Amino acid sequence: MKELNELILPTNVKYHADHEWVSAAAPFKLGISDYAQDALGALTYVELPEVGAKLTLGEEFGTLESTKSVSPLISPVNGTVKAINESLSDNPDLVNSDPYGEGWIIEIEMEASELAPLLDAAAYKALLENQA
Amino acid sequence: MATANKTVLYPVHTSLGATMGGFCGWDMSLWYPTGAVKEHLAVLSGAGLFDTSHMGVILAEGQGLRLFINRAVTKDISDLKIGRAGYAIVLDENGYTVDDTIVYPLYEGAPADRFALVVNAGNTQPVIAHLKQLPGGSDIKWTDLAGELSKFDLQGPASFKIMKTLVANPESVFDSLPYFSFKGEFDLSLSKVKLTDGTPILLSRTGYTGELGFEIFLPNDRAVPVWEALLEAGKPFGTIPCGLAARDSLRAGAVLPLSHKDIGAWPFINNPWPFALPYAADGTFTKDFHGKDALLKAAGTADYTLPFIGFDPRKVDEHSGKVLQGDREIGIVLSAVADMSLGRVEGQVFGLGSPEKPAGFNPKGLVCGFVKVAENLPVGTVVSIKDDRRALKIEIVGDIRPGRTARWPLKKAGA
Repeated sequence: MKELNELILPTNVKYHADHEWVSAAAPFKLGISDYAQDALGALTYVELPEVGAKLTLGEEFGTLESTKSVSPLISPVNGTVKAINESLSDNPDLVNSDPYGEGWIIEIEMEASELAPLLDAAAYKALLENQA
Repeated sequence: MATANKTVLYPVHTSLGATMGGFCGWDMSLWYPTGAVKEHLAVLSGAGLFDTSHMGVILAEGQGLRLFINRAVTKDISDLKIGRAGYAIVLDENGYTVDDTIVYPLYEGAPADRFALVVNAGNTQPVIAHLKQLPGGSDIKWTDLAGELSKFDLQGPASFKIMKTLVANPESVFDSLPYFSFKGEFDLSLSKVKLTDGTPILLSRTGYTGELGFEIFLPNDRAVPVWEALLEAGKPFGTIPCGLAARDSLRAGAVLPLSHKDIGAWPFINNPWPFALPYAADGTFTKDFHGKDALLKAAGTADYTLPFIGFDPRKVDEHSGKVLQGDREIGIVLSAVADMSLGRVEGQVFGLGSPEKPAGFNPKGLVCGFVKVAENLPVGTVVSIKDDRRALKIEIVGDIRPGRTARWPLKKAGA
C-alpha cells in the first residue's frame, strides 16, 4: 500500500469521499483517486455505462474489478454520460498506472454547480489522514 | 488486526510496499506494487516467490503411524513411500472436510515412526484435536512445528533452473524428484538437504499454483537471507514476490480447492478431487477411513462441486452468488476469480501456457472457479451465476487453465 505522502493528489480535480475525482472545470471527466486504485489493486475489468446514461448522485453506474473483488462506481454528481474511456476495455490497468490521465473513466455532461459539495485536494488529503 | 500472526518476513513485505490483509488469523501480503495480475502472469512465464509461512506443519511421532494415518485420511497411503507426498482430506464422522493436507512419510522404525501433515493456516490445532480423539490418536505425540519454520513457494516453469543454482549437491537432490515427492526432514537439524549457504531445508516438489515448483521449508532465522537469495537467483527469469491474491487466482485455474471454501462442511464427494479418495473400480472404497460410511451414504444425494469457466473476466460475489439453470436456482458459487491468462477464441478456451494457442493470442481474462449444484451437469453445460448486481453465463468444464507445468519432468524444466 502507498503511504499517504506517496499519493498523487492533483489540484485541478475535485474529490468525493468515495474516492472518485471530477475535473474542476469543463470538460468534466471522472476517475478514481490514486488512493482508490492503490487500495483496489490491479484491475481486471471496468464495467462502463452507456453514453447518454443518466448519473444520479450516490447511485452505482459501473464496476471496477480486480481478480478477486467487484467494487461499485458510485456517482459523485448528477448528470449524463457524455463519453466513456473505450481504451479501458482492453487496458483496465490504465486506471492503476495513470488514474488522473489515461485512466479516466467517463466524461460527464453536468452543471458546474455539481462540483460544489466535492472536496479540494487538501480537504481530501485531510479525510484520508483521518481514516488512517 | 492487533493480534494477527505475522510471518518472519513481515517487515520485508511492508518495506517492499505490499498491501497486507487478514487471512485465517495472519496478516499476509495480498499483492506487491507490481499488482496481482502481473504476479499471476510471472508465475506462468517464469517464476514467482510466495511467503507461505502461515501454513501449519504437524509432526506425528509414534508406533504404527502409517496404519493410523491411513485410517484418519481419505487417500490410501498404505504404499506411499518415504520421500513421496500424498494429497488427502481429513474428514469428520459426517464425511465433512476438517481440512485438506499433504501427508509426508518421513521415517519408520525404532524408536518411533515420523510422519508430517502440512495443513492450512489456522487449522493446526483443530486438526490435531480431531486426530487425537480418533482411536489410538492419544498414543501419538503431536507437535505443531509451524512456529519454528518458515515456508516459501517458488512456483513457475523456471523454478527448477533457479532452485538448482541455490541447492548444494543439486545432482543428488534433484535426482528422482517427481511431482509430489520431497527430500529432507521437517526437523531441519536432521535434514541432509542444504542450500549452498549451508541452510538446511526440506524441499518438496509441490505447490498451489498448478505450475512447476517447490515448497521450501527452512529455519526462521534464515528466512530473510534465503528470500533475498531466491529473488536474486530468479532475476534472470523475471521472478517477483507474489501475494495471496495471485496464489488464489492461480490455484483456482489449476482446479485446486481452497479449504473451507470449495471443500467444507458438506460431504467430500461428487467433486473434481476423486484422486483424494481410494476409489475401487466399482465406486466403493478400497480401504477404511474415518468418514467413509457417511461418504458412501451421501454419494447418491450430495451436491456436485464442478469447475466452471465464464466468457469474460466479470465475477459475481463469492459469498452470495447463486447458480441458475433457466429460472431455476440449482446451487451456489464457491469460488469465482479472474484468471487473466485465459481467453476464448471462437469459443474455445486458451491460456498463455497453451502449446497450441493461436498466433497473436492476447487474453483479456476469464472468470473461473467452482460451483456447488444439486445435479451433475455434464461438461459443456451453460448455466448462469447471479448476485444482486448481475447474472453471467458460465460453462461447466472438466479442466480450467490449459498448459499447466506442475508435472513437467525436471529434465524438460532444466533444458
